This record gives sequence, C-alpha cells and structure tokens, in this order.
Amino acid sequence: MSCNGCQHLDELKKQHGTEPYKIIYSHFIVCKSADARRRKANQCICYVCRLYTPRLHACMSCVYIGCYGRGHIHEHAYKKEHYLAIDVCYGVVHCFACQDYVYDKELEEIARASTPKLALGVGIKMTFLEWEPNDQEIDLLRRNAKRRRVEERSTIGLRGLINLGNTCFMNCIVQALIHTPVLRDYFLADKHNCNIHMNLNNNNQCLVCELSQIFQEFYSGIQAPHIPYRLLHLVWTSARHLAGYEQQDAHEFLIAALDLLHQHCQATNGNVESGRPHHCNCIIDQIFTGGLQSDVTCKQCNNVSTTIDPIWDVSLDLGPASPATNGSHSSSLCSGYSNSPGNYDPTSLIDCLKRFTKPEHLGSSAKIKCSCCHSYQESTKQLTMKKLPIVACFHLKRFEHSTGYHKKIATYVSFPEELDMTPFMSSSRNNNNGYSLQVVQEAARSLSCENKYSLFAVVNHSGTIECGHYTCYVRQHKDQWFKCDDHLITKAMPQEVLNSEGYLLFYHKQILEYS
Amino acid sequence: MADIQERKIKDAQMRAQINQKLVETGERERLKELLRTRLVECGWRDQLKQYCKEVVKQKGLEHITVDDLVSEITPKGRALVPDNVKKELLQRIRTFLAQQSN
Repeated sequence: MSCNGCQHLDELKKQHGTEPYKIIYSHFIVCKSADARRRKANQCICYVCRLYTPRLHACMSCVYIGCYGRGHIHEHAYKKEHYLAIDVCYGVVHCFACQDYVYDKELEEIARASTPKLALGVGIKMTFLEWEPNDQEIDLLRRNAKRRRVEERSTIGLRGLINLGNTCFMNCIVQALIHTPVLRDYFLADKHNCNIHMNLNNNNQCLVCELSQIFQEFYSGIQAPHIPYRLLHLVWTSARHLAGYEQQDAHEFLIAALDLLHQHCQATNGNVESGRPHHCNCIIDQIFTGGLQSDVTCKQCNNVSTTIDPIWDVSLDLGPASPATNGSHSSSLCSGYSNSPGNYDPTSLIDCLKRFTKPEHLGSSAKIKCSCCHSYQESTKQLTMKKLPIVACFHLKRFEHSTGYHKKIATYVSFPEELDMTPFMSSSRNNNNGYSLQVVQEAARSLSCENKYSLFAVVNHSGTIECGHYTCYVRQHKDQWFKCDDHLITKAMPQEVLNSEGYLLFYHKQILEYS
Repeated sequence: MADIQERKIKDAQMRAQINQKLVETGERERLKELLRTRLVECGWRDQLKQYCKEVVKQKGLEHITVDDLVSEITPKGRALVPDNVKKELLQRIRTFLAQQSN
C-alpha cells in the first residue's frame, strides 16, 4: 500500500491537475443539491450490470462506471488503459496498474473539505470523525510514555470519600457525578478551560475546577479514600444554606451543585446567570437540561396553550394523591416540577411517570384566563417531555413537608435497569390526540434506542426524616455495581441495587445524538 | 421456471427503484451515517480495526493488498454486526418507503 500516491496518479495530476477528481467527487460522491442527487440516482450504476451494485468505481479518465465486485471496472481499466478509478462510496482512488488503492494528500484534502457540505445538504448534523492527535497532543503522548489500559475488571475510578461530619449528602452526589459517563469523558478529556482563576485572583473558587480535580483524584490510582475538604469549603462559601454540620438533603445539594457548576461554567464564558437551568452551552446544561412541555387546554374553546421549560430533574410524587384543591403542586425548588393527579399509590417509577404526565383537571378554584376566548375557564393541564436530557435524574419525593408534620414515605417503588421514555414524550401526546397511528412508525419507535436510558447511579436514604444516612450505588463499565458508603466501597449485585429503596435515580441515555 | 425468472427481474427492478429513491432524497446518506454511528457505538469499528491490524501483521505490510484484506475481513465484519442494528436499519427503510408511497 502506498501512502504517497503512485506514478500513474502523478502523471494524471501532471496532465489535468486535481480537476478530474474534483468533478467526479462533487457529482457522484458528495451531492449537495437535490438536482445532483437525482442525477446520481439515475446515472450511478454499473454500465455492464445496469444496476446499482456494490463497490462502484468511476474511471478518472472518462467517467465510465463499473462495479468492482464483478470486475467490470477492471475490464474497462485494462481495455482502455485507464488505470485510475474512484470508489463512489468513499472517494478513494484505485490504481489498476499498481492493483491497489493509492493515497494522495492533496486529494484527501479535497474530500475532507467537501464532506461537511454533503452532511448539511441531507440534514445530517454532524458526521463522525475519528480523533486525530494534533502536534501538541502527539508531543504530550511522547513525553508521557506510561499508558494505563482500562480492562474489564479494572476498578479504576472507584474511591471512597471521607465523611467530614454529616457530609454523606454531599459524598453520595459526588459519587453519582463522578460516575456520570459523559461528565467523566468531559473532565478526563481536559475540556474545562477556566478563566475564573485569573478573574477572581483566587485559585480555588471555581467549582468546575474543583470537580475536575476530584476526577483526577479518583482516576489517580490511589486507593485510600479522598478527603473532599476543599469541595466542602467551596460549597459552604458558595451555597450558604448548605453550610454547617447539620444533615442536609442530597437532592437539595444536587440542585445547588448543578446550579453552581452551571454558573461557574458561564463565568468562564463571560456571562453569569443563576437560578433556573438555561439553554446555554455549558457542559451541565448539555448533559442535564431537558425540556418540559406544559399544555393547558381551555375547557370552553379547546384552545391549547403550550409552554416549554428547561428542567434539571424530575420530582415525582409518592403516596396517594392529595385532594385536588390547587391542582398541581409546584415544588418549592426552582428546578423541581411535580404533578399529582390520580388516586392510587404508585409502586413503580413507570407509575410515577404516568402520574406525572397524566392530563390533570384544574378545578374551579384554579381558573385560568384563556388567551383565545379571553375568559376565565376551567382547564386541563398536561406535562410531557419535549426534550430528553442526556442524564435524567428522578427525584422520588420521599420527604413530605406538609403544614404541621414532616414524614418520610418509605413505600417500595421499583425502578428498571433500562427505561424507555417514549411514552412520556410530547410527541406521544400529540399522537394520542391526533388521528393516524402508523403501525410502521410505532414499530420503528419501539425498536429504536433513541429514547432509551440505562440506570447508572442510585442514591439511597436510610433512617428517618430527622436522622439518617445517605449511600450511593454506582455502575462501573456496563454492568458492575458498587456501593459507596462514604469511605467504604463494596461490590454489589444488580438485584441489590434494584431492590433498594431509591431516593435519587440517575439514568443515562443509551444513544447520544451527535450535534 | 419462467415464474422464478420473472420474479428475479421484478425483484431487481424493485431494488433499483428503491435505491434510486434512497439516493435521490438523500436518505441513503442519512442511513449510512446512522449505520456508521451505530457501528462505532457498539464497538464494531474498533473490533474490526483490531482484526485488520492482526491480518496485516500476519501477512506483512509489504505483501498485503486491499483485496486481500477485504476478502479476509468481510465474513467476520458481516457476522459481527449486531442484530438490533440490522433491525433498526431495516425498520428505518420500511418507514421511509411507507412515507414515500403515501
């Protein structure tokens, strides 16, 4: 195999330059316009078979098209002594005199430059490109010759966290975040380029940097538990309501941590906004932000008003539904959304989600002014997922804070290892209300992994509402589970995880869209 | 016998027509990209790459041609494509054809 072309290609280039390659490439390999595609569809067939056969090649001298599999392009090449032909699928050049594919930097550059255009033409957002180290990375790899290979049984990435005085609420969330696959990839790829350091003249104020540091600690290979005192200090100074040695709610910490990470990411990009999750481009929003659609249907005129809100997690009600006095209860936390129609106790995550997305009648006490008929009317409201996040966090509302009493709901709620969110999507809602449900499309959807999730972390709370302890199950590799109890890490069986009570459930999308 | 012959011709025509539609609409490119993505995700690409390396090592870089490599890895490459990837692609094509015929 030659990496520097061959004499035949050199001759052709001397005579005609790269023009023949460019012309064939733009007509048969990447077709930007619908016209070009139509032409390709009609003309791109083997001239002997009269069919679209595998491995078609186009002659670089006379644009004769023949297939490689049955030797028709070979026949042409030898008869006419046109030795160079381009594979119409991949755009590589074959030399029939040298009997091999030849590689030429100049032609490869032309091909590389036109691929993105093709993708845009047919609506592909981004094509897969293999990682190629740049000069700086090659240099780094050379200077650091030691490699670590992650084997199937390797326990790298597992490390205990010392409890610094009722800080298990923090430890369990840190474990869940550290074992979030896309977040891990982000930090291990060293993607966070911080400039808060310089701005604030202080080198431990950025929570993203601290998390990055913790990732380094977890993957350093050190077995002794890590002491997260710097993180705790940072949390105390940045989120005052979590400061002190009292017991805190792990969910509250998760939301505070995501908010701080999001803010500090944004500070790096220049603009700081706090509070609700936004559609910014920071890694936290890319991973955790989903879109919750709320449809309010006026009972009078059937007008539907739709709003979509960004969310970081889904808070799900447990226990029997409270009487429909004020309809939906918005949780006090800005990120939490909840909804509680139905009169049954949910016993599974699916039940909870069904309840969450069920149309709910807003009673006479909650009349809303309809934007269409301009009168105050009763209405129904339905929540559905418009956009699914890469990581879905489900918060089972086990802690009930009603007026007068606080209690923990310890009901068993089963949750699956693999979760399909399709039924809870806004598109499913539209289909149910609409007319034709195409059988074919239905089948395609159930087969596709598009909306499927895998469980990768479960935070559990044991004890009572006043006094308890948090632990976390995390998944390593594809199916190995470990229990993180502060500084102790022990192996766990999948069944043990699925049988646990569950307070926060972390699911990861099985398939990521490249966009 | 004539029936079988006729059927074969019809099949070929049908296949050509489908292919033409796929190319014209750009669906072929989208399917190709989907397939590429799925094969990367399930580790097929890495597996095959590893296998190619072994074959090249075994035969020697100087003596091997693409034809050798193709004939050597094609059966393995086909066998390693996971069933659900095939199913998904088939389903996508079915959906596409259903939309086209509407």
